[in-house]
Amino acid sequence: MKWRDLILFLILPALIILSSCQRKLAVSPANRFLNAYDVEQNANDPQRLIPLSYQQAQGKRVFNNNCVWCHADATPAGPSNRSNLTPTPPLFTDGETFNLLSDDFMRNTITLGGSAMGKSAIMPPWGQTLTQDEIRAVLAYARAVAQPPYKASARPASQYPEK
Amino acid sequence: MTAEKMGEISTRLRAIFALASVAFVAVLAVSPVKDFFQSWKRYEKDYVSYAQTRPDTKRLLADFHPGIDQIWLPEMRVLDRCTTCHQGISQASLRDASVPQPFRAHPAIPHDVKKWGCVICHRGQGPATETSEAHETTLAWEQPLLPIRFIQASCGMCHRADLPQTPKLNRGRELLSQLNCGGCHHLQDIERSAMLGPDLSNVGNKLMRQWIYKWLKEPHTVVDSSGNTVVDGYEMEEEPRMPQFRLTDQEIKALSAYLTTLKGQPIEPFKFDQSVVASLQKSADLADQGEVRFRQMFCTTCHSLAVTQGDETKLIGGDIGPELTKVGSKVNPDWLVAWLRDPQSYLSHALMPRYRWSDQDLYKVTQYINTRLTDPDLLSNVPPLEEPTQEEIRLGQRLFLEKGCASCHVIQGVSPQKDFGPDLAILGSKNVSQLEFGNSNIPRNLISYIQAKITDPLSVNPAARMPQYRLTPTDLDAITTALLSMTGSPANSSLARLVVPRPESAFRPAGAFGELYDRYKCAVCHRFNGDGGNLAPDLSFEGSRAQLQWIAGFLKNPETLRPTLIFRMPQFNITDQEASVIADYLGMVTQSPSVKLSAVDQKQFTPQMAEMGKQLYEVKYQCNACHTIGSAGGYVGPNLSNAGNWLNAAWIEEWLRDPQALVPGTIEPRRSLTDQEVQALTAYVLTLKQKAPPLTTSSAGTKAGGAQ
Repeated sequence: MKWRDLILFLILPALIILSSCQRKLAVSPANRFLNAYDVEQNANDPQRLIPLSYQQAQGKRVFNNNCVWCHADATPAGPSNRSNLTPTPPLFTDGETFNLLSDDFMRNTITLGGSAMGKSAIMPPWGQTLTQDEIRAVLAYARAVAQPPYKASARPASQYPEK
Repeated sequence: MTAEKMGEISTRLRAIFALASVAFVAVLAVSPVKDFFQSWKRYEKDYVSYAQTRPDTKRLLADFHPGIDQIWLPEMRVLDRCTTCHQGISQASLRDASVPQPFRAHPAIPHDVKKWGCVICHRGQGPATETSEAHETTLAWEQPLLPIRFIQASCGMCHRADLPQTPKLNRGRELLSQLNCGGCHHLQDIERSAMLGPDLSNVGNKLMRQWIYKWLKEPHTVVDSSGNTVVDGYEMEEEPRMPQFRLTDQEIKALSAYLTTLKGQPIEPFKFDQSVVASLQKSADLADQGEVRFRQMFCTTCHSLAVTQGDETKLIGGDIGPELTKVGSKVNPDWLVAWLRDPQSYLSHALMPRYRWSDQDLYKVTQYINTRLTDPDLLSNVPPLEEPTQEEIRLGQRLFLEKGCASCHVIQGVSPQKDFGPDLAILGSKNVSQLEFGNSNIPRNLISYIQAKITDPLSVNPAARMPQYRLTPTDLDAITTALLSMTGSPANSSLARLVVPRPESAFRPAGAFGELYDRYKCAVCHRFNGDGGNLAPDLSFEGSRAQLQWIAGFLKNPETLRPTLIFRMPQFNITDQEASVIADYLGMVTQSPSVKLSAVDQKQFTPQMAEMGKQLYEVKYQCNACHTIGSAGGYVGPNLSNAGNWLNAAWIEEWLRDPQALVPGTIEPRRSLTDQEVQALTAYVLTLKQKAPPLTTSSAGTKAGGAQ
């Protein structure tokens, strides 16, 4: 009788405590394509997809509206203007060219145009047409699709806002 | 009972009492202990120590309060505790992908994340304080997080008009309206258009029964590279508007029998001028001449033809009208002539313009369609169909209603069926318990349900009446996004204030121009004050842009301004008088308030200015990268070879100052030009003139890229 009471008094609270512990729901492994905002084909291998973040996807939209005409070989309207131009503008996926250029240089070229940065005047200035956020987004998109892939330099970017 | 005995019992009771007290305290302790180990407390502590590793610790911890953070929007019925763990959500310095979750900042969006919280867009359970409860579905809480690839649906909940930032949502809405989903379903903000499927009141005069049979069985008429008509295995860029219904052979026979009996108004064959026919019949290349006219008139701006190059069969041409590759094997030749002369007399809401035909052209083009756009084998696998019996006709009549055909097709005397399918206007806000999954083994959530229902309607409901669509995965995601955005009318008036409605506009000119506007269906391709199509330039300010003589000349003989465009303005054979009516109306009415034509005096432009403008054009700004003059230059902007005869000086000046102010979203970037440069460039552009090209008559050919 004594032992039965004892067991009753110990087990009941234990059960109550145990029942309050939850079974952790299994969190499904994050699929980086299902969770990507958008995807883009790899320029060298269309079967492989590159997941794009929100910012990169915004950049893709701006690119396809303004830049695609001269920096790609196929455009929404069909033929590209790229082959018409001398010097020939680099393709937007051309990592060998763009990976060597810093973010600041790329952003300034887009904002101020080629002639301001010692490049060809064919590249017009977009600073008054696109916002700085849009220009950053385009750059993020170009970095995402670059072949060979772009690797940010080992030194981290400044934490402080640009002056 | 002795005192000792009582003592004994009391000792035992005391032990029990002590044990019970300990147990009770233990039970009471559960709650504070559980609270102590709450995961959000750990996240808050982690955030503080993470912030201390960052150089801007002070800013990161400025609005940090220990405890549950809460955003409460009573108007939206949202209680949002996400920022308890997502502490860095609005810290711009934490946007980098290297910042560990849940502290990473939200990407820059037009809305204030701290004000609106997360649940409004991302869904999930706002009041929950456990990660899994907040993010996932439980039995009690039914709203899981919206996967990021469908997130644009949330933009569409309030922004009923298309935004440039939401291409996927816009595409989904476009598909819902293109595929005529509104024929059977009530959809939010997608009106049931007047023109869904063709009016069938008179279809017996237009089509043979064999063709109707074929169409109902396989609503594609395109061939693959080996010449076989295929349904599957052929990649259409666009889903055909007529979907495939699941019909038995007997049902198809009955429907085709019923439809062939619909001969409301008999067609009177058009009497061609016999001398024209006699002279044309002699020429051996009649069909070739017809093809030349077909191409010159740019029928392919609206209609597509299948073209086989190498192993690949592709549709080339527009999608406003039906694909015509085999139309010669489809329609009755007398019907074709009557249709081409006056489409609206057969179908009052037809989008096809009423061309002015000469007998020669009409004869040539119909001969081309009847002899070249045919396929003798098209109907070869149709079983022999006898005269329709009364029984078949009755069954067909019944099926026409039962299968929902009357939702899209009009037949005189048959009342149209609206809302034949379920109401989808609030599909996006449905909970899982409101969905019927049947015996399918798909995950129990709204997105899987929508996608299963569209890809295979029978999988969730074996008795579904919905036809079979074959969408690409991208389009399927786009449609899913658009459906998820339909969360119904806002629950109360304060929320209704947030909804940005679809702009409504109606441009309905009257008078002589109104008649021509209707006759040539300008609004199918062009946009006027926000109303009309997207294929061709917006003409809201055309009167400010172009000179009147140029407009009249262009209407008579549309030249190519943009060499890369596949779609060109058709040649309607407009008369001189009609051209001047249209030019006068556009010049008078479609003016931009920011372009003052009288303010710019053409005489002020001197040859020296033009010379300086030429230098600016060619050297400093390299405009030739995008614009063509003569035979050199780029394809992006319009050809400027004839700009001096085309554009108004005041328009050029305003355009150079700020292109986007005149045409929002235009590609040409705004530059910082001085007033002197603007005038010099304008002076130069005005000197660019060409002699008027010879008018294309019915016998003259035009080359592609005809502006040169």
